[in-house]
Amino acid sequence: MAEHSGGGRGESAGDKAREEFFSEAQEIVDGLSRDLLALDDVSRRGGSDAELVNDVFRAVHTLKGLSGLFGAAMMSGLSHELENLLDDLRLGRIELTPQVLDLLFQSVELYGRILAAAKGDAPEPAAEVKSLLAALGQVAQQKGGTAGSVVAQYELDPGLLGVLTEYEEHRLRTNLQAGLSLYRMRVQFQLATIDSALDELKAKTRPHGEIITFLPTGEGGDAESVELEILVASRAPIATLRGAITGPNIAIEEVRRRDAAPAMDSIRPPRRASEMPPQVSIAPPAATGAGTEPPPGVMSDEPRPRTSIPPAPPAVPAASITGFGIPGAPSGMPSGVAAPPAPQAREQGKADNRELTLRSVSQTVRVDIRKLDHLMNIVGELAIVRGAVAKLQERVRSQPHLREVMSDLQRVQRAFERHLAQMQNGILEVRMVPLGQVFDKLSRIVRQLSREHDKPVNLVITGAETEIDKLIVEELSDPLMHMMRNAVDHGIEERDERMRVGKPPVGTIALNAFQKGNHVVIEVEDDGKGMDPALIVAAAIRRGIVSEAEAREMGAKEVLGLVFEPGFTTKDEATALSGRGVGMDVVKTNIAGLGGVVDITSEVGIGTKMTITLPITLAIISVLVVEVAGRTFCMPLASVEEAIVFDEGDVRTFEGREVMTQRGATLPIARLAKLFQLDGVRPGVWINEEAKTPKPPEVRPGAKPKSYVVIATVAERRVGFVVDKLVGQQDIVIKALGKSLKRVRGFAGATELGDQRVGLVLDAAALIHEVLSTQENRFALAAIEPPRQLPRAELGSRGDGEEGLL
Amino acid sequence: MNPLAPRRIEGRSAMQRADELGKRAEYLAFLLGTEAYAIEIGTIVEILKPLPITEVPRADPGVVGVMSVRGRLVTVIDLKRRFRLTRTFSMNKKSRILLVDAAGEQIGLLVDEVVQVYRLAEADIEPPHVLGSEQPPHVVGIGRPPGGAVLLLLDLTPLFLD
Repeated sequence: MAEHSGGGRGESAGDKAREEFFSEAQEIVDGLSRDLLALDDVSRRGGSDAELVNDVFRAVHTLKGLSGLFGAAMMSGLSHELENLLDDLRLGRIELTPQVLDLLFQSVELYGRILAAAKGDAPEPAAEVKSLLAALGQVAQQKGGTAGSVVAQYELDPGLLGVLTEYEEHRLRTNLQAGLSLYRMRVQFQLATIDSALDELKAKTRPHGEIITFLPTGEGGDAESVELEILVASRAPIATLRGAITGPNIAIEEVRRRDAAPAMDSIRPPRRASEMPPQVSIAPPAATGAGTEPPPGVMSDEPRPRTSIPPAPPAVPAASITGFGIPGAPSGMPSGVAAPPAPQAREQGKADNRELTLRSVSQTVRVDIRKLDHLMNIVGELAIVRGAVAKLQERVRSQPHLREVMSDLQRVQRAFERHLAQMQNGILEVRMVPLGQVFDKLSRIVRQLSREHDKPVNLVITGAETEIDKLIVEELSDPLMHMMRNAVDHGIEERDERMRVGKPPVGTIALNAFQKGNHVVIEVEDDGKGMDPALIVAAAIRRGIVSEAEAREMGAKEVLGLVFEPGFTTKDEATALSGRGVGMDVVKTNIAGLGGVVDITSEVGIGTKMTITLPITLAIISVLVVEVAGRTFCMPLASVEEAIVFDEGDVRTFEGREVMTQRGATLPIARLAKLFQLDGVRPGVWINEEAKTPKPPEVRPGAKPKSYVVIATVAERRVGFVVDKLVGQQDIVIKALGKSLKRVRGFAGATELGDQRVGLVLDAAALIHEVLSTQENRFALAAIEPPRQLPRAELGSRGDGEEGLL
Repeated sequence: MNPLAPRRIEGRSAMQRADELGKRAEYLAFLLGTEAYAIEIGTIVEILKPLPITEVPRADPGVVGVMSVRGRLVTVIDLKRRFRLTRTFSMNKKSRILLVDAAGEQIGLLVDEVVQVYRLAEADIEPPHVLGSEQPPHVVGIGRPPGGAVLLLLDLTPLFLD
């Protein structure tokens, strides 16, 4: 298996190269997927985009080269066949039908699986590759002939037609068949700036039409400049083009059909007469031939470099396609061989390009995320050093004769702090990747699901550029994928049903991402049938998740929350799409593992919206350090709304829940000491006598000093946590608790606080959920025997148990 | 169903090990209360004097808490409570924390005192069933080094497998 897909388990040096190969191949496959989606989009709207086809072609070509290099036979074979297909597509020998697109999408899927197999994560998809190859072969059989008569109707120089590459000819034909007009631009370029000037010209032209080819006219130039003739196909009238593409040495004219009346536009005088050589702008090309059109002979004498780069693209190494393509070529295809302006310019252009290519390659570095974690840890250690220096500073301050040293020390310390903060931010920034990475995968899945299920779905993505920690992105793809499945399977109705209720036949799923303070919010919203509370309750009762009595007491939000319970499903039979045992409870657990929360809102008949709220990064967080019963805890500042002085007199009790009024609103409160059963010294409670940590509780019952309420908010849910003391704010590097503590709930991790002391970081989302759900359940289910409602009993078994909360 | 049966496979007998290690294996002996235990020296990463340990609320009673060993978070287990030898916690100047690699995680084992390293030959090891037929899987034998000491030999992996 390894032999097919990656050269076996190579040793040390080979491993690194293989790693590189994997990540590079993965990147290309991701890009491929993106381009295909765009292509799908364009073709569904009835258009086509040659540039995109080219991009796809290039990606596959690069993959072929890469996989050949690494002896990944399966991938290389697949790439080879795909390349042929794409070449045919590019040259118009076959059409971009939905079937062809399906094959392309399948290939992306297979690339992913081949890569996974090569890494040893999955079995090789040998059978699937084989059947895809067969399907590709069939498509290749269907290619039609190339009828090219339409070109002949235009007043184009046969010499020019003779030098067009197959691809250029195809583009020309396609555009003319589509009824676009053909324009000829003559542009004078300074050799020194030709690269940038050409790019600029291309950018200006792009919105209006497609550049077919570039040819040097062989005249009008001198030692410093060269004149190029540029063929452009466009739907726009010539006036628009002239308005859009302006410049000192640009002339535009229309290439007319033979025996057709001249188009109105070309008769009108040019708007900027001074810029237009009059004979070019008005007269038909044939008439101006003497002045501007080089005779065919001149044309063919032109040193066309067609021989230097073979026109058959597959033979050209990818680097030369992207890197050394002459800038004039449409989208840098090998057809870019179209005419370098002059020998010295070509040399210069080539040299510049090569330099540029090398530079752009070396500017990106792939880094193992673990290395960044390591750097982050060092930053954390440095933060501890900073704390120690600050303590030294305190000691120096008390020595009057060291005043001078003191001020120096202060300055150095400030500089150190500033740079440390910059470094921290810098590393964090490096870890950030756009959510688009995972969104692309999702669009592929939605497309596949909607086809498989025959439910046309339009996926609308916004905020793909929103950045989030790389680790979070990795962990997000599964939950989001599941939510997409649910949206297509359970949310969007069948086409007939949608028509019946007067909705557009094509369903819409919106995937929105945006940053909100220190959090990133991701919304998945569908315009489907919504979630019917009655159905949810019925399903939950059927599955024994709630009793009927429990269900009767539930509010609307709680009912929706039932879908997060393990084992919940409304369908009795699992469909191919969802309901295969991985439920929303897994989604919730995964998101909670990232320190996030999921919320649902839904309206029957209108649609469902799921909202995920996540921290931007897991690595470094700002926390509020608090003390409870002598123990130190860290509350992530991102979840802290404010901290206020606690007054016992403000507390009201409603059937067991403690609440207080804050700014006119009800705030449920939880005493951390009770929640964690820290009150007093329990038998067996551990106190480190030697290190005196945790310190013995300063708070003695009876003489109750001031305490505080830290108001924590996660996704609209608020709870006030009562603590003894606010120590201060601090940036910490959060570390995960060991496996042996993974069942302990309420903590997101731990961190070193200096003095070698470890502080536990509270999991605000989990604690808020725990407090609210415990209270709600207790409230609602006081009379019923609720074994499910006491999961904490096992965790808190050594204390006085659940009663501690009351 | 005996839940211990499949696990037995995990803890190979100490005699087998001695066999594999050229008839002689090194064990670190330590005290829990008055009882002497020993684990293979190869599983021990480091022996630490007590560092500040932070209690983890809601954790299993056998867990002392977490500490930081050169920037690395380590869970500390109180072996005495884990083995139900005591219900109370104690720590003094002689206490040591054995840092071990167990089931993919570094764990600190709080012990009352570290005694010494013993080299045990095959002949010095008795199989666990001399203590009775139903021994927990982490008990892999009884070491009787020359000199009269008696050590309960432990394999830690089964302790941290759940």
